[in-house]
Amino acid sequence: MKRSLFMLLIVAVCAGFSSAAAAADVSSTVLIEEPAVWDGRVVTFTGEAVGEAMVRGDEVWLHLNDDAYAGGSIASGALPQGYNSGLAVVVDAEDARVVTVFGDYRHQGDVVEVSGVFNAACPEHGGDMDVHATGIRVVREGAVLDHAPGTSSFVLLGIAFAAAVTAVGAYLIRRPRD
Amino acid sequence: MMLRPTLEDHKVVGFYTGRIIIGVGALMVLPLSTSLLFAEWKTAIDFATGLLACLAAGFGLQALCLTHQELRRRHGLVIVSTSWVLATVLGAIPFYLSGYFGSYLDAIFDVMSGLTTTGLFLLQDLDHVPNGLNMWRFVLTFAGGQGIIVIALTALFKGVGGGIYHLYSGEGKEDRLLPNVIQTARTIWVVSLGWLLAGTAALTVSALALGQEPVRALLHGLWVFMGAFSTGGFAPQSYNTMWYHSLVFEILCVIIFVAGSLNFAVHWAVWTGSRAELRRNVELRSFAVTLGIFSLITAIGLARSGLYTDALPFVRKTLYLVLSGHTTTGFGTIYARSLVTQWGPLPMLGIIGAMIIGASSCSTAGGIKGIRVAIISKSFLQDVRRALSPESSVITSRYHHVKDRMLADDTVRTVLMITIAFLTMHAIITVAGVMAGYPVLEAGFDGVSAASNTGLSCGLTAPSMPDFLKVVYVLAMWLGRMEFLAVFALFGWIWSVVRGR
Repeated sequence: MKRSLFMLLIVAVCAGFSSAAAAADVSSTVLIEEPAVWDGRVVTFTGEAVGEAMVRGDEVWLHLNDDAYAGGSIASGALPQGYNSGLAVVVDAEDARVVTVFGDYRHQGDVVEVSGVFNAACPEHGGDMDVHATGIRVVREGAVLDHAPGTSSFVLLGIAFAAAVTAVGAYLIRRPRD
Repeated sequence: MMLRPTLEDHKVVGFYTGRIIIGVGALMVLPLSTSLLFAEWKTAIDFATGLLACLAAGFGLQALCLTHQELRRRHGLVIVSTSWVLATVLGAIPFYLSGYFGSYLDAIFDVMSGLTTTGLFLLQDLDHVPNGLNMWRFVLTFAGGQGIIVIALTALFKGVGGGIYHLYSGEGKEDRLLPNVIQTARTIWVVSLGWLLAGTAALTVSALALGQEPVRALLHGLWVFMGAFSTGGFAPQSYNTMWYHSLVFEILCVIIFVAGSLNFAVHWAVWTGSRAELRRNVELRSFAVTLGIFSLITAIGLARSGLYTDALPFVRKTLYLVLSGHTTTGFGTIYARSLVTQWGPLPMLGIIGAMIIGASSCSTAGGIKGIRVAIISKSFLQDVRRALSPESSVITSRYHHVKDRMLADDTVRTVLMITIAFLTMHAIITVAGVMAGYPVLEAGFDGVSAASNTGLSCGLTAPSMPDFLKVVYVLAMWLGRMEFLAVFALFGWIWSVVRGR
């Protein structure tokens, strides 16, 4: 019995240590609001890759947004739900090749999970807040978005066209002729 | 006694407002063309609708208000104000139709922010907007920087009487580069377009080197130039200029937004060979002194926080943010909330001070302006000298601003009046923010930023902020850009319609 309790205690202590050593899963909002708490710690961060990968020698800058649009942008038909929010991540150039689709008007970007060290003011990168990623994986692939104008767009265009033609016509009729 | 405007007076205001609105509509050709070029069909339809609405309003007003009466002084300022109101309401059409705004008020907020070169925005999901929509943001801010009246004067006006100067000056520009106002307006565009070509080329090459694709590099180069030179502060991505993570790119931005914050008369003097103007101009001297003071305050605060342990990031971040605030640009290389969570109160106060002063008169910048700070300082020193001199002595003071000038009591009175108006507005907008439930420092920071047409934010400005505060910010941006006179002239006009004889 004593031996079983001792083993249980060891297992519990080991489990505690392993969870403390594991990367904490955090959002950009938490990191920006509490930078001092997380500075220098290993974090796991998941967000949609937007824009482009900016290659600088052996490393790449990625921008990962973990906002409401990571699951679907306004361009894909979602309603406005606030500003974008995300973090800049520095990744090894080779590792970053797994990211192939970047979010913009025409694309919903790959959703990427990175783990690495969070820097509240990285001295290596001009004081920027960043994550130096040591691991990166795509958790959801991006997609091409389709944008077909709706009927209401054409109706409004028609109304504006009629109003403009009427106004220009009225002006041309009334203006003085030299 | 206020004279009630006659029907003919209203017609003059309506006719010229209509003409200016056509000019604003013509600006939509640029985002419309961009949308067509990138096959963004829905966005193209939105801009075509906006353009046609401007043509309908512009030609409709001209048809309704056709008049032979000459444009006079009393009309000029009212036309400027009315044009800005209509341009804002009509310019918001494509924004609202895009679906990226929570309400029409939010769309109006962004148009006013663009035209006044403020840079605060309520557009949501910026990182997924079409190129056409982004182009409209930057066209608004670039055009607003030069002045929508300047645009109209450049292209749409010919010989319309003495009131034309009041159209020009109503937008907060008083210095004539040339005797003729229309030539002055065209010269402003020549200067700006010269900078546009050089600045866009430099930023595009830099963006290419930073890893952007050629088309995106060109668009970002053009847009960041427009945001910088107009001291606007809009940026193509939600990360603002932190997106680029590059010292070279930041230096280019600083060069461009400092150039944009200089008086157009100084640009013209340098272009025409008077380089000594850069050394002698009292406004630039004033800017150098206040820049030093506010940089020091910010640096002391940041040094205390111990945030930046190395010298280069410390100097880089401090100077970029203070210069961005002082030139009323609004570019940032830190997250908005980092001002509160990392920088703290003293650096925020340093930047607030820089934003209140602002940059040069007759430039794209906002704020009280360096010339007024210089005149108040000189007047104060003159009074001290008078107090210390024998009663019979005559004490005069001179300053150099494009040419040598005597410090006149009338000038000092006008300068003090506008300065007090600015300070009162900053106080009122801060109180409005506190009334809405925000901490006083944050309310002061974003409020001053709006009223000085800067655009830096510590996170208060957001689509979720109360509507009444959005309206207060819109009014403050407008008052700040017009430097009160044209807006008060419109209120006076409305008052005289009701109570005049």
